[in-house]
Amino acid sequence: MATRSLDAARIERANLWWRIGSLAPAIIVLAVLSIWPVFNLAYLSLADVKWLSGSAVVEFVGLRNFHELFTGESVYWAGVRNTIVFAVCAVTLQMIFGFTMALAVRRASKIGRSVLTAVFLLPIVIPPVVIGAMWRLLLGRDFGIVNSLLAFFGLPMVDWLGDPRSALMSVIIVDVWHWTPFVFLLTLAGLESLDQEVFEAAKLDVKNSWQELRYVTIPLMMPTILITLAFRMILSFKVFDEIFLLTGGGPGTATEVISFSINRVFFAQDRVGMGSAMSLVTILGVAVLIVLANTVVSRRRKQRVSA
Amino acid sequence: MSGGRNGKYTRRTLGQLLAGLSLSAYLAAPAFAQDAPPIRILISQSPWLNSFVSLVDQYQKVTGTKFQLNVTPFGGMVDKMRNSVRAQQGSYDIININSQGLAEMYAGGFLRPLKEIDSSFALPEGVLDFGNSANWNAKTNSFDPQGELYGVPTNGNVLVLYYRSDLYKQAGLKVPQTWDELLANAKALHNPPKVYGFISRGTRESILFDFSPFLFSHGGSFFAKPENGDYSVTLNSPHGLRALETFIKLNKEVGAGNAGAMDQAELIQLLSTGKAAQGIAVIAAVADLQDPNKSIVTQTIETALLPAGPDGQRASVAGHWMAGIPKNVPEANQKAALNFLKWFLEKDTQVGYTEAGGIPIRKDLGDTKLAGDPAYRFIKAFSENADVAKMNTPLKEGVRLKEVISLYLNRALIGEIPPKDALNGAATEMNQILTAAGYKLTPPKML
Amino acid sequence: MSAMRSLGGIGGNLIAWGYALIILGPMVWILSNSFKRQIDILMGTTIAPFTLINYQQIINSRQSQFLWNLWNSAVVSVISTLLVLVIATVAAFTVARLQPPRWVTFILLGWALVFHMLPTLTFVGSWYVMFTQAGLHGTYTALILAQVVHGLPMALFLMIGFVMNIPNELVQAARLDGCTYAQVFRHLILPLSLGGMAAAGALAFISAWSDFAIALNLSNKETMTAPVAIATFAQEHQILYGQMAAASMLSMIPALAFIMFGQRFVVRGLLAGAVK
Repeated sequence: MATRSLDAARIERANLWWRIGSLAPAIIVLAVLSIWPVFNLAYLSLADVKWLSGSAVVEFVGLRNFHELFTGESVYWAGVRNTIVFAVCAVTLQMIFGFTMALAVRRASKIGRSVLTAVFLLPIVIPPVVIGAMWRLLLGRDFGIVNSLLAFFGLPMVDWLGDPRSALMSVIIVDVWHWTPFVFLLTLAGLESLDQEVFEAAKLDVKNSWQELRYVTIPLMMPTILITLAFRMILSFKVFDEIFLLTGGGPGTATEVISFSINRVFFAQDRVGMGSAMSLVTILGVAVLIVLANTVVSRRRKQRVSA
Repeated sequence: MSGGRNGKYTRRTLGQLLAGLSLSAYLAAPAFAQDAPPIRILISQSPWLNSFVSLVDQYQKVTGTKFQLNVTPFGGMVDKMRNSVRAQQGSYDIININSQGLAEMYAGGFLRPLKEIDSSFALPEGVLDFGNSANWNAKTNSFDPQGELYGVPTNGNVLVLYYRSDLYKQAGLKVPQTWDELLANAKALHNPPKVYGFISRGTRESILFDFSPFLFSHGGSFFAKPENGDYSVTLNSPHGLRALETFIKLNKEVGAGNAGAMDQAELIQLLSTGKAAQGIAVIAAVADLQDPNKSIVTQTIETALLPAGPDGQRASVAGHWMAGIPKNVPEANQKAALNFLKWFLEKDTQVGYTEAGGIPIRKDLGDTKLAGDPAYRFIKAFSENADVAKMNTPLKEGVRLKEVISLYLNRALIGEIPPKDALNGAATEMNQILTAAGYKLTPPKML
Repeated sequence: MSAMRSLGGIGGNLIAWGYALIILGPMVWILSNSFKRQIDILMGTTIAPFTLINYQQIINSRQSQFLWNLWNSAVVSVISTLLVLVIATVAAFTVARLQPPRWVTFILLGWALVFHMLPTLTFVGSWYVMFTQAGLHGTYTALILAQVVHGLPMALFLMIGFVMNIPNELVQAARLDGCTYAQVFRHLILPLSLGGMAAAGALAFISAWSDFAIALNLSNKETMTAPVAIATFAQEHQILYGQMAAASMLSMIPALAFIMFGQRFVVRGLLAGAVK
């Protein structure tokens, strides 16, 4: 009896150490390297920084940056609209394609599986700057191969990136091409980690593949799908490199996105105060979106469970 | 609450906390102080890098001075420069500054006045200063020859007119002296989609540059008297309007049809593949256009002085690079850096620089051995344009103004708004920004 | 019914291979560009004289030490990925299954999310100052640490998701058997979340491998990574498409190899689990 409680005490102590030790690295790394930058940013959003004789002069301006952001900075707001369109369209398509391909790869033969996995992953291992440069060549109006193909089939040429009506769509196509592997990778991992017994048991109740997908696979995959969706959304709100070389935000403001405005203001114009304010407003907006989406989804889920 | 909460803010405070960590690094640094320190240069990866490197090698061989070149992507130059000059100890003894960033570096007080390093130093006769951009007057906030000398040009670059001599010969055309003649030439040669009569850049990144020669040569201007520090906005004048209308007309009637999306890479693509009969581009492009691996018009592409406006006025704009010596590096490094720059400016050095593929920064190379060589036939047009080149937005808010103006110009070019509204809108915003920044201005008169 | 299934299977296969073509088309085209002269690329010529000049220029010239840049990328990305995985997985287990104090979870995850949402460029300047003051600017240590923080939030969330997929009953049963948390982690959680680790690891690796903004600001000439080197081909007045294509081909191969190796390793892990 005594040894048992001694054992229990030892286990308790080991467990306490585990609880502390397992969280400590994450907390320390984040604390050391992210707290100062983030608070610095929050502080700068209330300030106006100028450089005189080699050192910074910071003037505290209260909420002036935010006021100016909400009353002026029309380019930023054009970017907000474009980014929402961009994020919703691109991420929806990526989710559909990525998940479909993950399902297809699961069913493929063993060799087909490795070949397809390798091929599907190719686009994300190309640096974004290359994606931008190369797709610009592909979609170029005069010499682009896409237009050559169109001409081959007797179709009219399209000024993919130069026409304000098609520019955003072209950018979305490129982003889908580039980032679908992200969804593919995560949903494939999700599918592989599903509990096979539950899966097989549930499969007995359905009639065809469609029902299996609709009533078994998707509900079981919901956590993975949601987290993938959330991260794709966040990342597409940060999209920068590829569009930078594709269109530079133009023509006009047709492909202006939020991170462009932030980059331009924060960096090119060196208005760090306004740039910080833009960043904060943006992440606040995204956070609200995520919370909203979460609420809607969990409510629907509850409804389904009660039904 | 008067006086606000102005305060000096240094990121260095945090550094003191972290300094303990770095003790080992200091201890580990060996003491080779007796050796002359290498000159550390921040430079952009670019077509003229090779020629710069060859000069550095030559100097190293002759003087024994060591160099450390930090070659950086063009898109990352400003990051690296700011990081270094704003730190307590700079990482570079010479920074190469793009014309866009000059005002920020000069006005921010990051650079050492060159006369402080060597009181006898001045830019030699014959060296181009591209619209007075070597000097900065802190009182008037402007590029002013009376101001302090901060910069030494390291690579010349201005906008010039490119044309195809073979097409001109076929059609019996002459080099245009005015924009009207240019339009006439373009109409004669325009045959889309095989050949476009005239192209220039029109994206938000680039439109301001290519529009500026139009504006200046039509007698227009961005500001009333920038060299005296009077930045009252004058963009929306009748001259400005005529300039913009000419610019749009050329692009619409004889252009490539996607002017609003045309940027540097695409412009050079059209020129080098023989699809453009005439165009405005930087002289720096000449190296590519004469390289058989990159161009099919190596023998037939020619350069000329940009056409004149209705009153015969000529103008170009500067897109050159200047070297500066930051304050926050040791005195010995600054001295060594300036000695190198002095040698760099010499006439013989510049001849070598040009032969190695660089664009010279002197206008008096016409009497050297380069003169008769067809490979350097661009030098004449370069010197002529450099002589009439100006800075377009010569103040430290320049980048922001450039972006504001560019968006309006781009929207006018793609037909979203009429030219008049574009200029009025741009002028209004420019005036707002500058007034808010504390400039005393006469408000612009609306068109 | 089985006929329908197999029909669906064939359809699925067709779609998958069709999609593979859409991906491979541009890839083959980039590959072919890496063997062309700039003028042929600009002209959009499909069949052009073959040249190795792009590869020669990036590998063997004074301006470019691309193989060295690749090595730097490999060091930084592999080490930071491994660190991220270890840190994220142990933390994920505790957060997901051991009910740490609510405020700890809330602050940790909330903060990670906020940090993840910020554009990199808004804080990389602060990092420059911190690392410079610590005497670490331009070192692998700085680059690796930065990539760890940068990749951690996403890996953390993903791993929590994967650990949540493991039935809680298993964990409870193991604890009733007298296992410590460490033992539960080693014998239960780790084997069962290998698939998730492979996916999260692949994404962390890719984000480190293709990062430009952090590497630009924190590296120097000796530690410059491949994406920064590749960006030097997009110059002020021209884009060196051929060299860019060659460089991205060279940088893709090790990246893909690493990811596939990771996948293999995991599949083997899964099989081992199934046999047991």
